[in-house]
Amino acid sequence: MNGTNHSLLQVPPGVQCFVGEEARLRRAIEEKVVGVFEGWDYEEIIPPLFDYADVFAGGDLAPRTYSFPGRDGSLLALRPDFTSLLAKIAAGRLSSRPLPLRLYYSGEVVRYEPPRAGRRSELFQMGLEHLGGEARAADCEVLAVAAESLEGLGVSDWVLALGHVGVFNGLLPEEALPADRAQGLRERVESKDPAGVREAARAASLSPAAVEGLVRLTRLAGETGVLDEADAALAGFPRALAALGELRAAVDALTAASLGPRLAVDLGEVRGLDYYTGLVFRVYAPGLGFEVGGGGRYDRLLARFGRPLPAVGFMLGLDRLALLLERQGLAAPVPLPAAAAVAADDPGRGLAQARALRREGRRVRFGDGGAR
Amino acid sequence: MSLTLALSKGRLLPGAEALFRRAGLPFPQDEGRRLIVPLDGLRFLFVKDTDVPTYVEYGVADCGVAGRDVLLESGSDVYEPLDLGFGRCRMVVAGLPGGLDYRKSASLRVASKYPRLAAAHFQARGVSAEVVKLAGSVELAPVLGLADCIVDLVETGRTLDENGLTVIEEVAACSARLVVNPASFHARRQAVTALVQKLEEARG
Repeated sequence: MNGTNHSLLQVPPGVQCFVGEEARLRRAIEEKVVGVFEGWDYEEIIPPLFDYADVFAGGDLAPRTYSFPGRDGSLLALRPDFTSLLAKIAAGRLSSRPLPLRLYYSGEVVRYEPPRAGRRSELFQMGLEHLGGEARAADCEVLAVAAESLEGLGVSDWVLALGHVGVFNGLLPEEALPADRAQGLRERVESKDPAGVREAARAASLSPAAVEGLVRLTRLAGETGVLDEADAALAGFPRALAALGELRAAVDALTAASLGPRLAVDLGEVRGLDYYTGLVFRVYAPGLGFEVGGGGRYDRLLARFGRPLPAVGFMLGLDRLALLLERQGLAAPVPLPAAAAVAADDPGRGLAQARALRREGRRVRFGDGGAR
Repeated sequence: MSLTLALSKGRLLPGAEALFRRAGLPFPQDEGRRLIVPLDGLRFLFVKDTDVPTYVEYGVADCGVAGRDVLLESGSDVYEPLDLGFGRCRMVVAGLPGGLDYRKSASLRVASKYPRLAAAHFQARGVSAEVVKLAGSVELAPVLGLADCIVDLVETGRTLDENGLTVIEEVAACSARLVVNPASFHARRQAVTALVQKLEEARG
């Protein structure tokens, strides 16, 4: 018997623990990214860890939210994301601030999610929201901040894949399809599965031109020249063309700011349709099989909190960035200077000596312990 | 940059080989037990058919060939840009002739190698189904009373016939699909696009 209680050492699935160099690497990444956010004049906001469950209701994340009753019978929830909390704070506590609001956050979110392919129950997110600003400039700004964050970390060969939910929506009839039909189509477009789109479209009774347009969306992904193809292919759909125009404006602005080689257009990027209202984007890089982060325009969310404001934001996953940097061989920890050993045989004298060294900014190792 | 492809040595292998050869793409000759075969700028992984979506979803393989049955069951986050046109079969609900009409029953027991897909099929129809996961010989289940019906892949229907089962309804038409990892799709765009184009032309 060694006295170890194994059942107490067990960890629940999806949680993480970082020690020493792993933790330092994560802090270093966080510091760089947050430094970029500050550099673009975003203010930090440290929202509560939990809030009323209503705040997070309605989104994709609602079924994956950890909720629990409060002592007073109210239903509370651990934050599954930051954006709804920031929207609430912007509509409430910051309601008298002049617009636009530029806010950023960095911290953990918790979701009920079986661990798989880069998803965990506990995630560390760094992101920002641009609220109440002129849409075109705000979209470009947010994309430029995302780009600079990746540049700052030295990630190689990253790609910003841009889409616009208005292209997909513009191909559907204006009177909304039944939710399950729209969802089926959305999933097949998202999977870039032309055969599946045709099958899903049969159930949704769309016009033949709309079906062809949706099938084309599965192929309209790649270099920014895709936009020209899309203009021609979707000429009969004015709402889709308007969305393409907005997308093109963002692409042109970023190209003028020498980000052109980093851009891809992906008109099949249609996740989170009930949430996003305009431009959407994701960041990919070789070495990591899933996106590093992403974001988009969500002009409807703030109205839920009683302050309708246009909004755009994005998020980078710290866990994914750390993994990506490791895969790309860029995760070398910054070496710390060696600690000076100070004997503790005479604790008083030793401490005085150690404090003197600390005042000089030296690292010290007090007393026993030897080399780690 | 060399692409990694995940393939299975199962049912879809002959079709995949024929298509790759028609497309003028390299394809390993019989490599015995080798699981990783680099060949003319491509790297082939030979894995179990149900694992293909997993290798691609995690980005260990950039692309893969998987049956739609396997994709529906895995629910993996991968792109499926191409129906490769071979390995056609149907995912069906089957049972004993004159057996129960599940739409009229309060609950039923379903045996399947595809538990996720089977559960989703009946849930969507408002039927409370208890799914019994089996690894093979699913056709036995209704015959021996282990389940009321099965959800399984049917190619010719012979196995069903021989065990006295009939198709009750079709769940999905299945065939081999090219699957692509989303990050590879964007970050290795040229190589992936070239592969998709060659396979699409060869498929006709």
